[in-house]
Amino acid sequence: MKEAASIGVPRAGVARRRARLRRLLRPATGYLLTAPALIYILLLVGYPFLLSLYFSFNRVSIGGSYEGLVGLRNYTSLLANPVFQRAFSNTLLFAFFGEIAKAVLGIGLAFLLLQPLRAKKAVRALVMLPWTLPFALSLLGWQWMYDPEFSVINYVIAHLHVMRPPYPDWLGDPLWSFIAILAVNIWRGFPFAGVIILAGLTSIPSDILDAARVDGAGFFRTWHFVITPMIAPILFIGLIFDVTFTLGDLTAVFLLTQGGPGFSTQTLPMLAWQVGVVGGNLGAGSAITLFLFPFLLIGVTIFLRMLYRRESV
Amino acid sequence: MSVATAGRGRVNRPSRRKIRNRVLLYLALLFYLMIAVFPLYWMAVAAFKSDTDLIDTSVSPFWFKRPLTLGHFNLLFFRTDFLTWFGNTYMIAVSVLLITMAVCIPAGYALARLRVPGGEKLAIGAFLSYLVPPTLLFLPLSQILSGGLGLGNNKWALVLVYPTFTIPFCLWLMIGFFKRVPIEIEEAALVDGCNRFQAVLRVLLPISVPGILTTAIFAFTLSMQDFIYALTFTSSSSQELLNVGIPSSLIRGDVYFWGELMAAALLAGIPIAILYNFFLDYFVEGITGGAIR
Repeated sequence: MKEAASIGVPRAGVARRRARLRRLLRPATGYLLTAPALIYILLLVGYPFLLSLYFSFNRVSIGGSYEGLVGLRNYTSLLANPVFQRAFSNTLLFAFFGEIAKAVLGIGLAFLLLQPLRAKKAVRALVMLPWTLPFALSLLGWQWMYDPEFSVINYVIAHLHVMRPPYPDWLGDPLWSFIAILAVNIWRGFPFAGVIILAGLTSIPSDILDAARVDGAGFFRTWHFVITPMIAPILFIGLIFDVTFTLGDLTAVFLLTQGGPGFSTQTLPMLAWQVGVVGGNLGAGSAITLFLFPFLLIGVTIFLRMLYRRESV
Repeated sequence: MSVATAGRGRVNRPSRRKIRNRVLLYLALLFYLMIAVFPLYWMAVAAFKSDTDLIDTSVSPFWFKRPLTLGHFNLLFFRTDFLTWFGNTYMIAVSVLLITMAVCIPAGYALARLRVPGGEKLAIGAFLSYLVPPTLLFLPLSQILSGGLGLGNNKWALVLVYPTFTIPFCLWLMIGFFKRVPIEIEEAALVDGCNRFQAVLRVLLPISVPGILTTAIFAFTLSMQDFIYALTFTSSSSQELLNVGIPSSLIRGDVYFWGELMAAALLAGIPIAILYNFFLDYFVEGITGGAIR
């Protein structure tokens, strides 16, 4: 916007100065209005993050007793620790199997919600319950369902004769407890996968799908060559959200197994809690959580690329 | 479409196929509904069952054998701090909402409307901080807040902490909402003699009320989903929120008060689930990058 400076009038100089000031002020006002949000994020996300990096290179304990720089020793001693190794691989395995199952269930749900259904809003609200309920509260219901004596799952198994006794001890057996934790993670996340995929599907213009049909593409060809490439950005963004949630989730393991039996359901967040809060070792605890950081970085990179790709489409 | 196909071929076959597809569709739907809703049904049954009924394995557990009881709710309200946790949770959530909106409305307006150099990068940078999981921050934050600021075992620490994840997301949503209001409306107000501030106050904000409300409800509900921070920052019953107070008080060692646990989880969870459901579409849109277009 260019201020038309009037010529020859004595007040022109004042007007021009005021215009220049206004132009200068505009970015200043913008920054001023943005400042509280940015300062908040810098102080309570940025600063703690740097602090945790600092902790991880030092021997620090809760209460602030500081015993000096230890360099990479927190990290190297973790890498040699079998409990940490187990926690690390479990965390990745939960995420890997969880994402596959959530993708499969989510695709099914998305196509289902595309159909003309009666009372669709109510149906969707019900199917979304696992996602909309606070996880810590719905987990209490799962704990009751996994009860060693009164498990309703085992009741069903017994009455359908799918398995012979002994029935699974859901939270007390190494393998079954792993499956139990995986199951609650899938249960919580599949509705989210469903709505994200649905958002992708509805963003495809219907004439493109019509064109594919006219050209004689069947369902799987359309899915593979038309739908998937078009909704890939949305899928990746949804995936990143869910992976960060799964990798960082303490709730399920904390409430159901505390990492046990043995270390069969130990994960990085759980271990970080035990070492950092219960054990008071902030250095090692921070180092444990920072092992999540590379995955976060990958996620952020993909997120940005998808965002810009989506914008340019 | 059905008329066209029915008219062309024999009436019988397509309609039978249609029926079969319909049946399959509803079976699939039933499968999803079962998975999603059964745990809740199971919790509701346990909340109203008498203790003897709960552990009676001789009959089908899916329904009541003995009369329904409100005993669990009774115990919950009068023998535990349930109402305190309830009050704490809503008090904290409202405070978080106020802080979040006070920070996000001006910032959202600036980033959507004013020419802020590097504004888009700032917006994306702020949003990316939403991807930093609480797991990465709870240890240093506990040191800063309990050690540095003396907020150990204090629920108000959570008012400071929750905006770390509500601000990034709500800022993103607000930018999207403000961008969607046609700029011509503001320009018309300027032509009519308003200054910029009046134009925002009298024209833009009233139009954006639905967006602002959605964002506010989002901040409110999101803070109720947290577990790890509440676990880290509160340790006595009077300071706890629902998500932590319920399990820590109703699970005593090996003793589980199942009826009370289920009653509490349902009472605390259902309102949040209903609220969340209202703005689910905005949540999805926010995530999938609605704001940047």
